[in-house]
Amino acid sequence: METRIPKTTAVMSALLRADFTTLWRNRRSVRLVLLVPLVILISWKGLVDKLGGVFVLSSCITIGLTSIGLMGYSSAIARDRDKGVFQRLRVGPVSSWTIMISRLSAQIAMIVLMTILIFIVGFYVDKISITPIGYVAGLLMAMVGGAVYLSLGQAIVGRVKNPETVNSTTRLVYFVFIMVGMFGELEMLGNEIGQVVAWSPYGVVRKIQAGSLAPGAWKLETTYALLLSLGYTLVFAVLGIKWFKWDSK
Amino acid sequence: MNNQQQAPILEVDQLNVRYGSFQAVKDVSFSVHSGEIFGLLGPNGAGKTSTLSSIEGLLKPLSGNITVAGFNTQEKPLHAHANMGVQLQATSFQPELTIAEIIRLFAGIYGVDLNNETVKEKLVEINLLDAAGKKFGELSGGQQQRVSLVISTIHDPQLVLLDEPTSGLDPQSRRQLWERIEGIRGKGNAVLLTTHSMEEAEAVCDRIAIIDHGRIIAINTPQALIDLHRNDPEVLSVVRKGKVTLEDVFIGLTGRAVRS
Repeated sequence: METRIPKTTAVMSALLRADFTTLWRNRRSVRLVLLVPLVILISWKGLVDKLGGVFVLSSCITIGLTSIGLMGYSSAIARDRDKGVFQRLRVGPVSSWTIMISRLSAQIAMIVLMTILIFIVGFYVDKISITPIGYVAGLLMAMVGGAVYLSLGQAIVGRVKNPETVNSTTRLVYFVFIMVGMFGELEMLGNEIGQVVAWSPYGVVRKIQAGSLAPGAWKLETTYALLLSLGYTLVFAVLGIKWFKWDSK
Repeated sequence: MNNQQQAPILEVDQLNVRYGSFQAVKDVSFSVHSGEIFGLLGPNGAGKTSTLSSIEGLLKPLSGNITVAGFNTQEKPLHAHANMGVQLQATSFQPELTIAEIIRLFAGIYGVDLNNETVKEKLVEINLLDAAGKKFGELSGGQQQRVSLVISTIHDPQLVLLDEPTSGLDPQSRRQLWERIEGIRGKGNAVLLTTHSMEEAEAVCDRIAIIDHGRIIAINTPQALIDLHRNDPEVLSVVRKGKVTLEDVFIGLTGRAVRS
């Protein structure tokens, strides 16, 4: 009897439909993930003149990317792994990479949504306006920056098995990134901490984001930040894939 | 032609599974043919689930060969998976999805084209049409097992693997599930199930293998096992109410000690 392997496109389409339905049904947590960068964007309205619109937008996008990668993605993966959702999928004629690409696609959609929301709120509330090329480049660079945090989330969920511990670890890392990142970049924590922050995953993502929003101001330092972002992504992804177990037991 | 003379749907040959220094499965070999319900019985920790997980591809064996419908599970995992339907011991689906959406998801994964009408038909088949919009977690244990079974057989696989399918079910649900399992055999497909229930093994299995400490210690039809071992001193020492049952043979062969 002939064995028919389902087409990858058909499998991917079924997985994507399920993952996007899951994302839609989790609207409340999606709103929470989007809330922090939007609250910061609105509350920094009075600082736009002092800090510059590009700095404000790039900081908020970076914070949003951190939320998506660390809180949204890793928590969902940890929960489904613990419940055996992945094991049920893996006993079907579906390759592991197809399952993960579908999951990541839902997160990329979140990144696009978050970035566009920040552009819209930034424009209407904070009156921040940049060039059309800046918007397009900013959206594309948000995906590069998102990869840093998605891979960091993958590394955490790879290293830590218990979903509760994953949650608390990602929240802690998120808090540290936001607090130290924001205050460090505003030079409130001294020069040395500021330098560390500047080349940390927070700093480099913020830098490339700013560079893309104002392409005319792209510097050699921004190129280094881009290379370092790709480096961080590579290291976190390799560790995340190496450590990851499909079963939490 | 006798089913036993045909090429087996599942062939497990010299399977060894190890977790660190603990060897869970030792040189296990058996085969399952089309139109056969084969039971894997054993005390807790005997190696049943490890054997099943190796067949399902969830566990990489230390050594040995497994072929499903002629496809080696290590070399051609997707082909092997396409020919098997699996019901895991603790099945879970994305909790946000409804039953109809879960059925559609797995139909897509197995390359089965289901429209709204055929999804309805599947739900009617398992008496769950009213639950189409419910989440999996909102169903009773028996209903969950029915959903899991319909998903496992959505692509009409040649081999269905069921890990303790009736565990925790009431007698009515269990009987209904047995009938469904027999229905799979009736279509000429093979079933491999693990169970702790001797009643279940006697009621539905054509052949059983008793596994203990990672090794198969007996393999035959339930009645033949009773007949072969009815005079064993270990079996006679555990007989209750005068008549030797499969459970007596099982305890006689695996010992009375409670396993963790």
